[in-house]
Amino acid sequence: MTAVLKIESASKSFDAPEGGKIHALKDVSLTIAHNEFLTLLGPSGCGKTTMLRAVSGFEDLDAGEIYIEGEAMGSRPAHKRPVNTVFQRYALFPHLSVARNVSYSLEVAGVDKAEIRKRVGDMLDMVGLTAFGERRIGQLSGGQQQRVALARSLVARPKVLLLDEPLSALDKNLRHKMQEELKGLQHELGITFIFVTHDQEEALVMSDRIAVLEGGKIQQLDAPEALYRYPKNEFVARFIGESNLLPGKVVATSGEACDVQLSDDTVLQGCRRGDLAEGTNVKVLIRPESVVAALSEGTSGQAISGTISESYFIGTDYQLVVRRDGLPPFRATVRAHTDASRFAAGEPIDLFVPHDGVHLIAAEGAAA
Amino acid sequence: MTARFASLKARRALTLYGLLLTPTVFLAFFFLGPLSIMMVYTFLTPGLYGGVEWVFSHLNYGRILGWADTRYDQFDPVYISIFLRSVRLAATTVLTCLVICYPFAFWVARQPERWKNFFIFLITLPFFISLIVRLFAWVLILRPTGFLNQALLGMGVVAQPLDIIFTDMAVVIGMTYVFIPFMFLPLYSSIEKLDGSLIEASQDLGASPLQTFLRVVLPMTLPGIVGGSIIVFIPSLGNFIVPSLLGGARVVMIGNLIEQQFLSARNWPFGAALGMMVMAAVLLLLMIYVRILSREDKQAETQQPKEEETR
Ligand SMILES: Nc1ncnc2c1ncn2[C@@H]1O[C@H](COP(=O)(O)OP(=O)(O)O)[C@@H](O)[C@H]1O
Ligand SMILES: [Mg+2]
Repeated sequence: MTAVLKIESASKSFDAPEGGKIHALKDVSLTIAHNEFLTLLGPSGCGKTTMLRAVSGFEDLDAGEIYIEGEAMGSRPAHKRPVNTVFQRYALFPHLSVARNVSYSLEVAGVDKAEIRKRVGDMLDMVGLTAFGERRIGQLSGGQQQRVALARSLVARPKVLLLDEPLSALDKNLRHKMQEELKGLQHELGITFIFVTHDQEEALVMSDRIAVLEGGKIQQLDAPEALYRYPKNEFVARFIGESNLLPGKVVATSGEACDVQLSDDTVLQGCRRGDLAEGTNVKVLIRPESVVAALSEGTSGQAISGTISESYFIGTDYQLVVRRDGLPPFRATVRAHTDASRFAAGEPIDLFVPHDGVHLIAAEGAAA
Repeated sequence: MTARFASLKARRALTLYGLLLTPTVFLAFFFLGPLSIMMVYTFLTPGLYGGVEWVFSHLNYGRILGWADTRYDQFDPVYISIFLRSVRLAATTVLTCLVICYPFAFWVARQPERWKNFFIFLITLPFFISLIVRLFAWVLILRPTGFLNQALLGMGVVAQPLDIIFTDMAVVIGMTYVFIPFMFLPLYSSIEKLDGSLIEASQDLGASPLQTFLRVVLPMTLPGIVGGSIIVFIPSLGNFIVPSLLGGARVVMIGNLIEQQFLSARNWPFGAALGMMVMAAVLLLLMIYVRILSREDKQAETQQPKEEETR
C-alpha cells in the first residue's frame, strides 16, 4: 500500500464575519492509499469542504503540507494539481454540450482531437450517457448532470478524485443507485476517491475507511465496521448509528473482559478495548439492535429489566423506549413477534445484552 | 374537455391581443408614422426654403451612393466617407467603453452588496446634470490650455500642448464618457450572474487563468458584451452633440450632416435620406444580432429535455 495522498498537520482558519477566527481545520493528518475509497464524514460546518479545497488547491493552508505521490503541493495553483473535483452543485458549464463538458480537461491540456473523441466516448459509455453527448446541460435531469460531472472529472484520469457531497441533491432512490455506480466506477478505474458526506449511512455503505470530522479535527479514522462497533468517543458513537450511552464505572477487569456497573447498580460484562483501569468512569455504548428481548422465562444471561414506555411498530421490528429507575431512557429495536401484546407500552420487559454488544468509551473529561 | 380547452385558448388569445393593442397603437403613432413621413420625404424634391416639393426624385440617395444630378454637381464620395468615419468612431467608442467597463464591472461585482449599489448609483449620477454642461467641461479639460495639457506640461510628460480638442480622439473621449453607463449596466448584469464555481471548476480541470477566461468567462458574459456594444453603438453612430462640441468643424459625423441638412442647408429630403442610411446600418446590425441569438436558441431546442433516467 503506497500513499497517494498525505496530509500532514494541516491547519486552516478563516476570519469570521462576526470577528474572531473560525478554525476549519486543526492539525489534521491523514494518509490515503492508492485505490482507496476514503470518506470524510461529519456534520455541516465541520471542515469537510475546506479539507477538499486545500487538497485541490483552492485554499492555502496556514500550516502543514499536502503531498500527492510524495510531491509537496505547497501553494501550487489548482490547475497544476493532479486531482479533480466533483463539486457539490456540479458546476457544469451551461454554455457547452455534455460532450464538450467532458472533454474540457483534455482540450485545455492540448490532447489531440481523435484521442479526445475516443476518450470522451468511452467515458460517456461508462456513465451511461452515450446518446446524450450533444445535449445542453439544462436539458438533463439531476441524476444525469451528476453523471456528467463525474465523467468530466474522471476523463483525465486524476490521481485522486475529490467528491464534495455529490449525491446530496438527489432523491433517495437515485442516491442508492448512484452509490453503487460510484463504487463500481472507482473499482473499475482504480482511482483514489475522497468522498465527502454528512450522511453516515452513505459513508458506511461506500467506504474503505471513514474519517469522522468534527470541529476541524479527525475524531476517528477507521473501517466502517470498526467505526460502528468501536467508536473511540461519544461524538462518534452518537453520530454513527443509533446509540444508548449509559454512564457507568469499570468495577473489575480480567484480560479482554471487564465488568462495568451502571448508574442503577446493574453490572454488565463487556469487552475491553484500550486500557480502562478499574474505577474509570465510562460511557457504555449499547446499540438498540444488539439487545434481544426475552422470549421465554428460560432465557438467561445479563439483562436490563424495565418497563416499556413507548412502542413503535416499524414492520420487521418494534422500536421501544424502555425505562428503568436510575438509567436514562433506553432504546431497543426488537424483532416483531406474533405475540405483539408483549411489546405494548406499560409491559415489563427483560432486554438481554450480549457481551460483545457492550462497548466502553472513556467518559469525556475523565482521565482514561 | 376539448371544448373547455378551446374556449380557454380563445380567451388567452383575446387577452393577448388586448395586451398587444396598446403598444401597437403607441408604436404606430409615435414611431411608424414619423418614420413613414421620413421615408416618403427621401423620394421628394427639396423646397426652396425648407420643406418639400411633391415631385419624385431619386437623387437624394444618388448623391450619397454614387449617382448625382449632373446638371448641378458631380457625385461626391464625401458622404460615404463621413458615414464610414462615423462607423469607425462609433466602433472605437464601443471598444473603449468595453475595455474600461469590463474589468471595472468585475471589480464592482466582487464588492460587498452595499458598495455595489453605491457604485451603480455613481455610474448613473452624471444623468442628473445637463449633457451640454458636461461636454463643455470636457472642452475645458481637453483644450490646449486646459487642465489635461497643463497637468502633462507641468509633469514634463510633453513639451508642447497636445492637440486633442477638435480631433477624432476628443470625439471618442466624449462619446465614451457619455455612453459608458449604457455599456456598464448590461455588462455588469451578466458578470454579476457569472457563477464563481464555474471558474473554479475550470481551474480544477487544469485550465490556466487565460484558458479559463477564454473558455468560460468570455462566452458566459458574451450576452452582456454584445448587448452593451449595440446600445452604445447605435446612439454613437448618429450622435451630433458630441462631435459638434468636441469635434468642431474638423470632425463631422453623419449626425452633424443630418442636423445641417434640416436646420441650415434646408434640404429635408437629403437629410432624410442620410437618416435612412444610419437606420439601415443599425437594422443590419440588429438583424445579425437576432440571427445569432436565435441560432443559439435553436441549438438549445433541438433536443427536448427528457426527465426519465437513462438506466
Ligand atoms: N471562506 C470562508 N470564510 C469564512 N469562513 C469559512 C470560509 N469557508 C469556510 N468557512 C467556515 O469554516 C468552517 C468549515 O466549513 P466547511 O469546510 O465548508 O464545512 P463543511 O463542508 O464540513 O460543511 C465553517 O464554520 C465555515 O463557516
Ligand atoms: Mg461542505
